[in-house]
Amino acid sequence: MTALLEVNDVTKRFGGLTAVKGVTFKLQKGEITGVLGPNGAGKTTLFNMLTGFMQPTAGTVTFNGEPLKNLAPYQVVNRGMARTFQLCRPFVGMNLLENVVVACLSPRANSDKDKEDRAQHLLEQVGLGGRGSEPVETLPYGDLRRLEIARALATRPDLLLLDEPFAGLGSSEIEPLAQLIKKLHREEHLTILLIEHKLREFMALVSRVIAMNFGEVIAIGPPEEIVKNPKVIEAYIGKTEDAHASA
Amino acid sequence: MKRISWIDIAGGIVVVAILALAPVFAASNYLTGVLTVCVIYGIWASSWDFMSGLTGRENFGHSLFIGAGAYTAGFMATIWFTNPWYSIPASIVVAVTFSLIVGFPTLRLRGPYFALAMLSASAILQRLCLIFWEYTGGEEGLYGLDPMMRSPLHYYWFVLAILVVTVIILTLLARSHWGLLLRAIRGDEATCQAAGINVTFYKIAALAISAAFAGLGGALYAHYQLQVSPPLFSVVTSITVIIMCYVGGIGSIYGAAIAAILLTLLTEMLRGFGEYRLWIYTLTLILILFFLPNGMVAPFWRRLTERFR
Amino acid sequence: MLQILIYGAVSSAIYAMLAAGFTLIFGVARILNLAHGSFYALGAYAAYVLTSVLNFPLFIAAPLAVLFVALFGVVMERFLVRPLRSSQLAVLMITLAVSLAVEQALFIIFGSEYRNVPSFVAEKLTIGGVDIGGQRLLALVMGVLVLLLLWLFIQRTRLGAAILAVSQDPEAAQYMGIPTNRIFSIVMAISAGTAALAGVLVSPFLTVQPTMGLLPMVKAFAIVIVGGLGSIPGSIIASLILGYSETIVAYLISTSWTELVSLVAVVITLMIRPSGILGRRAAF
Repeated sequence: MTALLEVNDVTKRFGGLTAVKGVTFKLQKGEITGVLGPNGAGKTTLFNMLTGFMQPTAGTVTFNGEPLKNLAPYQVVNRGMARTFQLCRPFVGMNLLENVVVACLSPRANSDKDKEDRAQHLLEQVGLGGRGSEPVETLPYGDLRRLEIARALATRPDLLLLDEPFAGLGSSEIEPLAQLIKKLHREEHLTILLIEHKLREFMALVSRVIAMNFGEVIAIGPPEEIVKNPKVIEAYIGKTEDAHASA
Repeated sequence: MKRISWIDIAGGIVVVAILALAPVFAASNYLTGVLTVCVIYGIWASSWDFMSGLTGRENFGHSLFIGAGAYTAGFMATIWFTNPWYSIPASIVVAVTFSLIVGFPTLRLRGPYFALAMLSASAILQRLCLIFWEYTGGEEGLYGLDPMMRSPLHYYWFVLAILVVTVIILTLLARSHWGLLLRAIRGDEATCQAAGINVTFYKIAALAISAAFAGLGGALYAHYQLQVSPPLFSVVTSITVIIMCYVGGIGSIYGAAIAAILLTLLTEMLRGFGEYRLWIYTLTLILILFFLPNGMVAPFWRRLTERFR
Repeated sequence: MLQILIYGAVSSAIYAMLAAGFTLIFGVARILNLAHGSFYALGAYAAYVLTSVLNFPLFIAAPLAVLFVALFGVVMERFLVRPLRSSQLAVLMITLAVSLAVEQALFIIFGSEYRNVPSFVAEKLTIGGVDIGGQRLLALVMGVLVLLLLWLFIQRTRLGAAILAVSQDPEAAQYMGIPTNRIFSIVMAISAGTAALAGVLVSPFLTVQPTMGLLPMVKAFAIVIVGGLGSIPGSIIASLILGYSETIVAYLISTSWTELVSLVAVVITLMIRPSGILGRRAAF
């Protein structure tokens, strides 16, 4: 079975700095995969390259059998890959409904006659039903995240990339969001790739982990194995000798 | 999308009626002339407001499109001696062409840089008019255009009708999903991309629409003044239009049109002040920026008609 | 040939002075000051008023003129620009408004006839067979001197270091106890002062009329864009490029094309490399 997403030896160099080096992995349809790594490991840069916000210096990305080369972000979205951002930046000056309607106007989503209806439905799906006329400026952060997801769903993605969806959320907001992600994964037959720091929620969600450090993939495998992987532990906690020395 | 309430339509009808009938009652050719200029400024202002008011990409070189339309009319009339009516489609085509040429490279620049690039573009054209004076008539420009109609009053009504059509079209576009997309572009372009929207296309399209109406206004102006000269391309023209939009309330379109008419009338009444006029204009801009950044006309109208909505 | 070299150098020096001031206030306070040309014009007119109307001797009138304009700049920044700092476009508009207002005011007060300001240096010199007015040479020398002093000031003094800090991160600078607002005022004073000095220096040999600030402003702006906003070395390189391009164009084609050079340079730079030659938060 051909993979939904194939990332082959992708590298990103900024002048003298190599942010991402030789990253290779495959995503099968229907998986929830997670990308794990400390700050600066290159996770968001990787996302940016997958979604067209940056071009790789080397390597290829193939999505749904077609290579993604020199595409603008909106073109990638219209091929079926949607993303959310770590820092939510909604359209200010508009209400929730309008924020989602914008995404419903993209070519890929454009099959519906009534965009407003579809936007309403999407808001309900993410748990923001009935709040369409609220201005987006007054929305708490957890709800902004849901709005981002609604916006991403509007474009009928095959693959959904979530960049640190739990970042900045209080403990009471994390679990409901995790449930929502699971629900959407089931209902919309999404393939999901997510970046996250919060290990507990992360491990509960994903079936496979791609661990990164210093721009390279250091391990790929199911969560239980990754957690025990010495390279991963070293990346997060440091070598045991260092730990002793600094103690 | 945003429903246009009946009170807005009623207000519009009243305003148009007043504008249409005023010169008849005053029986003054002078007033007809002044109002013609007022209305043309209304076309220029609402066209600016549509693009820059909605997308937040302020265009400091709107005079480029105005001048392009006007000079097209000028060339056609004085060099090729065509029927004045052909100026209308021609000026639109030329202005839109300019907007595509200039828009493609400049629209990807951030706010202030786009503004300044457009400013430079209009300044370049002004300079070119002076450099190639053998073709463009230099400082004095082209004169001897034919009016489109024999009666100034009829021409005024014609121009007024065009303003009405302009405002209606632009308002409908602004209230539609198109307008929503433009406002989203103002909000956050990266998020727009992530929503699958081809941002560049919509920005250029908005600029082209804005240019089309501005050029049309330019041609109408040329056939009113019966001459065209380089100041049409100047930064002062651009700034005047921008001031009108700020006074009217950025993004409202009808506000820009009404403010344009009022301000042009005011300028005419201040004619006695002579050289102080531009000074008063710039002071107005400074005051508006400080105390009334949301403008005067649109907020006033909204407040006035609150209970009818 | 030598004539081009020398006259080109004079132009470059003057424009470099203007550009340095313009890029300084942008680099530090992110203010695109379209009123910069007005400072230049005001400097020239102040020199005119002080010498021809109030009959001050030149060596008193010149510093007074510079001081007056520096003060004007500080007041403008404090009361008109600072409240609008949140929007770069608003700052752009208000400085443009100020420049138009100043131009109109000068026109109203002084009329459009050219005014005369006496020279510092009345003799003509001959260098390598080329006649050049002493005043022009003085302008060239002063221009280079001022740029050098400015560079030394920023690189070597404590105040200069504070200015650099504010230009990199105003908030962080504030946390370190640097009075950011006062730095803005100081930088504005320097910026306006250098523009005024340029105006004073050229007033004897260039025409003093109300719109005199427009063309230099366009050129200074072009230099800054081409050289990179916020970079003084970039401005110097660009002012040489533009200054000489203009002189060459003026000789080869005609003087009316010279203004086009700057404008076209701006448009090309913005299209190909918007950050300019050395731009994007490059250090001074």
